[in-house]
Amino acid sequence: MNATSSQPPLLEMRGITKRFPGVVALQDVQLRLHKGEVLALMGENGAGKSTLMKILGGAYQPDGGQILIQGVPVTFNSVRDAKRACIALIHQELMLAPNLDVAGNIFLGNERKSMGLLSPLTRRQMNKAATALLRRVGLTCPPTTPVARLTVGEMQMVEIAKALALEARIIIMDEPTSSLTAGESQKLFQIIRQLRAEGMAIVYISHRMEEVLALSDRITILRDGRYVGDLERAQATHEKIVSMMVGRELSANYFPAKPAKPPTEPVLVVDNLLVPGAPSPVSFTAHRGEILGFAGLVGAGRTELMQAIFGVTPALGGTMLLDGLPFAPQNTREAIARGVYLAPEDRKRHGLVLPMTIAQNTSLPDVRNYASLGFLNRSKEREVARHEVQRFRVKTPSIEVKAVNLSGGNQQKVVLGKWLAMRPRILILDEPTRGIDVGAKAEIYRHMAELAAQGITILMVSSEMEEVIGMSDRVVVMQERRVRGILERAELSAHRIGQLMTGHADREALAV
Amino acid sequence: MILFLHIKLIHILAFGGVLLAGAVPMRLAGLRREMGMFVSLICLAFALFVSNEDFLGQSNVINTTRQISMLGIFAIGISFVIITGGIDLSIGSIVGLTGVLIAKISGQYYPDNPAAGGMGYSLWIGIPAALAVAALIGLIQGLLITRLDLQSFIVTLGGMLLLRGVSQTIVKGGTLSLGDVPLIKLANGGLFPTVGSPDGTVPYPLLIFVGVILVAAYVLHFTVFGRYVYAIGGNREAAEYSGIPVKRVETLTYVISALSGGIAGVCYAAYIGQMSQQVGIAYELYAIAAAVLGGVSLRGGEGTVVGVIIGSCIMKVIENGINMFQWIYRDRDGIRRLWRLDNNWTFIIIGAVILVAVMLDQVVHIFQARRRTRKAGAIAAAAAAAAAVPPQAAKVG
Repeated sequence: MNATSSQPPLLEMRGITKRFPGVVALQDVQLRLHKGEVLALMGENGAGKSTLMKILGGAYQPDGGQILIQGVPVTFNSVRDAKRACIALIHQELMLAPNLDVAGNIFLGNERKSMGLLSPLTRRQMNKAATALLRRVGLTCPPTTPVARLTVGEMQMVEIAKALALEARIIIMDEPTSSLTAGESQKLFQIIRQLRAEGMAIVYISHRMEEVLALSDRITILRDGRYVGDLERAQATHEKIVSMMVGRELSANYFPAKPAKPPTEPVLVVDNLLVPGAPSPVSFTAHRGEILGFAGLVGAGRTELMQAIFGVTPALGGTMLLDGLPFAPQNTREAIARGVYLAPEDRKRHGLVLPMTIAQNTSLPDVRNYASLGFLNRSKEREVARHEVQRFRVKTPSIEVKAVNLSGGNQQKVVLGKWLAMRPRILILDEPTRGIDVGAKAEIYRHMAELAAQGITILMVSSEMEEVIGMSDRVVVMQERRVRGILERAELSAHRIGQLMTGHADREALAV
Repeated sequence: MILFLHIKLIHILAFGGVLLAGAVPMRLAGLRREMGMFVSLICLAFALFVSNEDFLGQSNVINTTRQISMLGIFAIGISFVIITGGIDLSIGSIVGLTGVLIAKISGQYYPDNPAAGGMGYSLWIGIPAALAVAALIGLIQGLLITRLDLQSFIVTLGGMLLLRGVSQTIVKGGTLSLGDVPLIKLANGGLFPTVGSPDGTVPYPLLIFVGVILVAAYVLHFTVFGRYVYAIGGNREAAEYSGIPVKRVETLTYVISALSGGIAGVCYAAYIGQMSQQVGIAYELYAIAAAVLGGVSLRGGEGTVVGVIIGSCIMKVIENGINMFQWIYRDRDGIRRLWRLDNNWTFIIIGAVILVAVMLDQVVHIFQARRRTRKAGAIAAAAAAAAAVPPQAAKVG
């Protein structure tokens, strides 16, 4: 809409291929970007969006394909090369040095260097220039504020100011709103529109359909590392994008059938639980054999709530009843002793000891019961591990394989097996399918349904709308660390959940 | 209390003046940890002066200053590495090796017993050669750490042992005498000799230390290089994604560290006069302790040159204080007696001081973090409450 067809686009990526050991992350992907355009890049987790953008930002080098800027082929061997071509990448996890001040971060790597590394820092000039840039992104803090004192939203703005300081022509934003509040997101959208008006080209990666539909001029969709297609803003609808993103794999039988369940007795009653850092207490009840979904944006306080239930960070107040008896774990061991287990979001860091074998990981939380006279009963350990590996059909040549060598889906199965071996009452699954490929996902879903049918109560935190709706019997929706609503099975819809989890302010911001 | 008659009002005023003159600017510059350690240092010095007047006697002051200077030179050097989040365990061995090399190259030649002395070349050859070797070692270690992606702890641990062995081989397990070379003057002499101290009141190592301080403070706090050192320690990934030449900067910090070890090695060689393989053992730990006491965080990204100076002072004042501290009392028979600390307590006291210092720092840190969380929670709650009100207010209006 902005460039005539005779002019070469500002940026063109053709046939980009990137392989990592064991996986093809990108296969023959293309992308076009014009001046003064906001291009949304969409796809499921693992579709290759971030990889593609890291190639554009110079952090990764492609194994094949071509990048053209205004029709001229370029090669980026490093982040510095990309910066020289005026491309700025803003990462999802913000890349600021917390020990430096705002001005120092804005000009980091971009200082005036008259004498190489030993050039004096021109603090006064930097502060002055930083003040002007901060004003452009709507921040009023002085440029000498330490970054550690800023909120996440302010840090995001500092990142944009940093991109502006580079005189970037292309800014890539990787899920910029994932940890912003509604008000902060609104501010960000204003600035994006302002930058577009100034002629900046912006690649915007997001999972949030509403944002994408409101902001973007065009949408490029990737699936499983391949280019699926482009949609002009005018043709784009929610349904069209989703169907392109998930392809045919997300058919009706992707999620196991949800049989109607007769009402059962409550297992976990959470009453006015005060989670550290939350502004108000939380209450809900989970029943026997139920999958209770927890929907919300990143930072809505779901993980923190689960950590309080699991005793990682004990609650500051309120009560919990487990099977009618008081339950107030002060550490994880007390929760485990009562049969409450957590499969964490970051399974590589919190779920498994990666250099240990499947068998060792399986026995880890319960290792005392594998010991006789202080000696580890390895044959019992192997037997249990073998049983769990068979139950979950973990794809591995043996139970002596180290967890680090398994794929994401199989790692998650080992985590589940480890807890299953200990007969859970309540299983907390935090983002159970994050970073897991489609095939393994369906398997995990099937196992979850089976476990629920056996009477295990599952608390499932998920940021994927389809997953929340497809799997949950009921859904607790959280926003800004409060419970905004608990939806019964009949009320479950993407629209209703979306409304509750974004709050009204966000919707106003998006209504242009 | 009659026993502390040497304390006069002027002493108290002087100590108070120094305390304020140092602490106030540090507070204003936001150097919280540095200020805390400075106050501790002055209090410590005052306590030692109260117990023993000679603590501030001319010869003790000159001697302690010399010790502080020699430690401070390489404590500042190692801080460059620590601020990037690395560690350099080889620096003590570099101190020793530089001294041994100088003794070997420029030590006096004894025709009847060549193994006891050096080769007798000019110091103009010996010192530059030894410093070049130090810098080269730093470069090699830095390249191993950055290009092969090895852990700094392991690489410099290997360097520490290997270089110690090299020193041992050169001295053949014995000692090398520098003999009668002008270098001896460097560490023992100084400017402005007086009758009381004919060797000078401003020891030469202090001059070198001041030079190192000025250069280091400029490089670390006022240049792009220094900014990169902090950025790497604060968030290595952010530094990489900001296009900073992380590997080159990191490698250079190891060169700086090793070179500072070399400079200190020259001073120690001159000071001791006889080089054996023992010189410099455990010095890397003193340097790390001085840096940490001065507010350098082993996690990286934090620390100042001023802090390292204060940390070095504390280390050496404690060491000196263990010798100087005395308690005069009268026993039951009314006879004046002197109680002194056992020299063997040195390590117990230094170790305890380091532990107490980091514990206090952590307690303050936890306390502040808690206060900040509470404040942030209150703000978030207020904001949420404010956000919840307007729609209703709008309806009413």
